[in-house]
Amino acid sequence: MKITNEQLKEMYFTMLKIRKFELRASELFAEGKIPGFVHLYIGEEAVATGACANLREDDYITSTHRGHGHIIAKGGELNYMMAELFGKEDGYCKGKGGSMHIADATRGILGANGIVGAGHNIAVGSGLAIQHKKTDQVCVCFFGDASTNQSTFHEALNLASVWKLPVIFVCENNGYGISVSQARHQAITDVSVRASAYNMPGITIDGNDLFAVYEAVGEAAARARKGQGPTLIECKTYRWRGHFEGDPVVYRPEGELEAWLKKDPIPRVEKYFVNNGVMTEEEIKKLNDDVDKMVEEAIDFADKSPVPSLESALKDVYSDIVEEGRVR
Amino acid sequence: MASIGIIANPASGKDIRRLVSHATVIDNNEKINIVERIVLGAQALGVKKVFVMPDSYNMGYRVEDKLNSCNELKCEINVVNMQRFDGMEDTVKAADYMEKSNEIKCIITLGGDGTNRAVAKSIKNTPIITISTGTNNVYPTMLEGTIAGMAAAAVASGRFDESKYKIKDKRIEIYKDEELIDIALIDAVISNDVFIGSKAIWNMDTIEKIIVTRSHPASIGFSSLVGCKEIIYPEDDFGAYVDINSGNEKIKAPIAAGVVESIQVSEPVILGFNDEYEFIAEDRGIIALDGEREVEFSKDQKLVFKIRRTGPFHVDVIKALEVAQLNGFFKL
Repeated sequence: MKITNEQLKEMYFTMLKIRKFELRASELFAEGKIPGFVHLYIGEEAVATGACANLREDDYITSTHRGHGHIIAKGGELNYMMAELFGKEDGYCKGKGGSMHIADATRGILGANGIVGAGHNIAVGSGLAIQHKKTDQVCVCFFGDASTNQSTFHEALNLASVWKLPVIFVCENNGYGISVSQARHQAITDVSVRASAYNMPGITIDGNDLFAVYEAVGEAAARARKGQGPTLIECKTYRWRGHFEGDPVVYRPEGELEAWLKKDPIPRVEKYFVNNGVMTEEEIKKLNDDVDKMVEEAIDFADKSPVPSLESALKDVYSDIVEEGRVR
Repeated sequence: MASIGIIANPASGKDIRRLVSHATVIDNNEKINIVERIVLGAQALGVKKVFVMPDSYNMGYRVEDKLNSCNELKCEINVVNMQRFDGMEDTVKAADYMEKSNEIKCIITLGGDGTNRAVAKSIKNTPIITISTGTNNVYPTMLEGTIAGMAAAAVASGRFDESKYKIKDKRIEIYKDEELIDIALIDAVISNDVFIGSKAIWNMDTIEKIIVTRSHPASIGFSSLVGCKEIIYPEDDFGAYVDINSGNEKIKAPIAAGVVESIQVSEPVILGFNDEYEFIAEDRGIIALDGEREVEFSKDQKLVFKIRRTGPFHVDVIKALEVAQLNGFFKL
């Protein structure tokens, strides 16, 4: 698969945005600036980045409770995201959704989702809509390993396969469902093998390898755009933080995190860049500084954004109902 | 009776070729079934101890549990005590452990060409029996686990003339600055791909040259591109190389499961054991070894390819069982 240096740099830029946004979100949560729950994506950046690099603006994604990385990779703006995390009026959901409900229909972001496994069937719905509209769009459905134990996963794969929908199911297998290791919640090691039960291709890749993700999702997207149906791609990865910020993480065996830190996807890309003349170390440092600045600007934007008024509490929450029960 | 070793690659049979070709998924539960049958076949013919490589799915322990629960386990199963990295290095280390063990006299591998290449990095003397659970499988073959276990028992018994059933295989050796940097058992493919990514190689547009130790039209994968022009057997003391998108003739060859492509291939150039092929890169690229992108090279880099009979000892299962039968191995 051919790839230009410009595409590579763009992907690296996205990974940096995710990493630095999440690192600051962790600090801000600890400072009490972010209300509610926050589930961070640190360590998994290659999955969202490599997958979304194959998507057009009119393609769709569905996300999860650990959704910041997906939103950023699909083009979400840091200012509005940070404002949403802060619960401010200028946030993506005007401060009413918080971390787990960021959506941007203009960019095909069909929403993060606080319900584990809820994205699968939304993705299938969007795939059905694409098929009815007869376009060559695709939908990437992101989800975790534990959500594949939910019935929604099986219902979604079944219908997507029966109807040959343009959905790419991207499983982020980070080894844990909350605090339960995969070995304790699944009788398989590779989620990809579940695809064969639904007559679709299923593959397992290194989710910390940006190139592997880019390549696999690229092939699956090409297949989906040609009307050849869905694919299941399992990306083996690891979340560095706990399930949520504040999680004491008492369930990991000693040495496990350290082993995965060595597989950090970002230095792997940097090493490739330097070895192959894509970017110099100086250029890498400058881009890092630029992204640091972008994230600080987003925090400043969120800080300055007003708190939603009490009067707006119910606005945009329910459909407007007119007399006789008809939706306006 | 000596012991046997089992190396079952938990990652084989699931790579991107399920997406870009029509390859079969082999899940780890199926590998457990095969290992179970190996153990049952081997213990029935006297094997007392089976060593198993540790893996993320704990295949060795699961087999032990399953066979104990039905009261059929008569031998001892030992999962090798080593640190796991859940990568190819586990296979290399487990093979090294088994090679150095004084007890293990035969190793059974479950995987594809890539798995056996990893095993071949460590072993020199211990003979191997190879069961295909991979994708493009030239080196391993489809083989019933029970039969593999029985053959391993015959080999491990040490009672029969080894020259009747085992062959020292060839391998491709790749040198950089006169230092051996990697090996392949079947083929080395030079491509202008710029990253390793999902490892498997399938896109003919990126391929420049193929070097093989053996070639046959009945082999799946890139060695068939040579094999459809010239057959080279494992016993032949030479290999060959070809240029892709070069020459006057197009051929059809099975480059992946369900993928038969028409490709322009040059006439094969024979590489004897005293020959070497020198490659100087015009641009950066990747070398795929036994179907997996592994070695990156940069512009102007010089690499030397040699074919030597320095691969593993490979057991011909049918011949091993025939020798065993002729010598009364199956008599009670």
